[in-house]
Amino acid sequence: MAIRFKKLSYIYDEGMPYAHTALDDIDLDITEGKITAIIGETGSGKSTMVEHINALLLPSKGELEVLDHTIVAGKKNKGLKLLRKEVGLVFQFSEYQLFEETILKDVAFGPKNFGDDDATAIKKAKEALKLVGINESMYETSPLDLSGGQKRRVAIAGILAINPSVLVLDEPTAGLDPKGSKEMIDLFISLNKDYGKTIIIVSHDNEMVYNYADETVLVAGGKIIYHGDTLKLFNDETLIKEHHLLEPQIVTFKNQLKKQGFKVSDDIRTLKDLAKAITKEIRK
Amino acid sequence: MNNLVFGKYIPIDSIVHRLDPRAKIVALFVMIVAIFIPKSWWAYLFLAVCLLSIILLAKLKLGFIFKAFKPMMFMMVFLLIVNCLTLKTGYVLISIGTFAIYSDAVFNTLFIVVRLLLMIMLTTCLTATTKPLDLTLGIEYLLSPLKVFHFPAHEVAMMISIALRFIPTIIEETMRIMNSQKSRGVDFEEGKLKEKIQAILSLIVPLFSVAFERAYELADAMEARGYIPGADRTRYRNLEFTFKDGLLILLSFIVLALMILSRIYL
Repeated sequence: MAIRFKKLSYIYDEGMPYAHTALDDIDLDITEGKITAIIGETGSGKSTMVEHINALLLPSKGELEVLDHTIVAGKKNKGLKLLRKEVGLVFQFSEYQLFEETILKDVAFGPKNFGDDDATAIKKAKEALKLVGINESMYETSPLDLSGGQKRRVAIAGILAINPSVLVLDEPTAGLDPKGSKEMIDLFISLNKDYGKTIIIVSHDNEMVYNYADETVLVAGGKIIYHGDTLKLFNDETLIKEHHLLEPQIVTFKNQLKKQGFKVSDDIRTLKDLAKAITKEIRK
Repeated sequence: MNNLVFGKYIPIDSIVHRLDPRAKIVALFVMIVAIFIPKSWWAYLFLAVCLLSIILLAKLKLGFIFKAFKPMMFMMVFLLIVNCLTLKTGYVLISIGTFAIYSDAVFNTLFIVVRLLLMIMLTTCLTATTKPLDLTLGIEYLLSPLKVFHFPAHEVAMMISIALRFIPTIIEETMRIMNSQKSRGVDFEEGKLKEKIQAILSLIVPLFSVAFERAYELADAMEARGYIPGADRTRYRNLEFTFKDGLLILLSFIVLALMILSRIYL
């Protein structure tokens, strides 16, 4: 297991009259080597969960295991920096983290902080920039001169250069155009399939989640409502209704077909699968 | 970051909260002048009692007021050291070898400290009981007579209220950038001087870039809604000056007069 929450609670402003329980006694195992999506309404506790994985927030109660680190509530936890090297967290609107004079220097900043010498850091930075599709001709430009989409890529490269084995992304495609977000998602899939990285994506985009996530965690009111196979979740009509989830178009289409007496199975993920299932049924 | 007390508004209802901001600002200035006049401890005792009764009327907690003193501690200690080293009048209190601490050094410092503490108490009373927007509205009213000399009273008030409005936003932004940089291995707490400078730099540069971006966006949004600096406009909320407000100003002048008398006769 890559990441394990054990009876973990997190309370903002603990002890104050306006204290707020963001995570309430959570148990969760996130599997290594998979793409896991975390969905839920705004304020449900998704981001709080994610910040725990990177030890930016420490649990108020309970325990958290991340790879071979254990973080226990109320204890002095050491080695957080080592943990942050293994878990890369890309924040929502990550473009705000850019600050160096050149793109290359900015991406090399992370590896340098984790103890690499200049030459190694630059080498890692170049590899990461290649992965996110930033041209070599741009290495010497200022990150502040880039367009929004390019800034996002450079910011993600800044995390990839650290070469974490778990990559956590908070709304990585928010504010990108359709082409840009498609490229982003393709990058994450390739990082998962070709480099064996564990990917955790926080998202509001259920279409994307349905198409690409192996497993999905549904969070509401600081509790885990569902954790398991993505297809199963979105085919569970009571869960969808109860938590006001936006149904992926393919699921809606498939359900309509079923109502009309078509025989289609529930494990249809993409448009291609759907087309195949329909032709098969018509040819019969 | 949440421990900032100085300048924080406490949303409760009390007689002090309901007073007109203009009256409170005028009274604040009169009282500050009053604080700097007397030379006797009795006068300061009287002022302290006055301030404590205001705090009680405002339903503020004393602990809250004392928290506002904390940032001043360093300055006060520094002041004491400098005074002890430079002031050599009065009688000797303690002498260690050739070094001696004179009574004037200690008493002068004490006077300054008491004055500063009273001033902080007073300003905290004002900011804790007055919404920032009401405060700027009050400032605008009070500055408006200066329009005769082409002083941009409205613009100044607008600038202050925008600045106040963006303090929480900038704090939030700072936290966010700090978290991003922490994820990239920046250690804000420990490290050598060079690493610390780098860490601060990684926070300041993005913060400035965000602040400028926000400023441009706000300017565009204001322009899009037809904001013209200095144009005559009506208000959603008008301030009303009541009998109680007049009484507050009168009382503050009485205190001022008493302080002047204490300087003469005590």
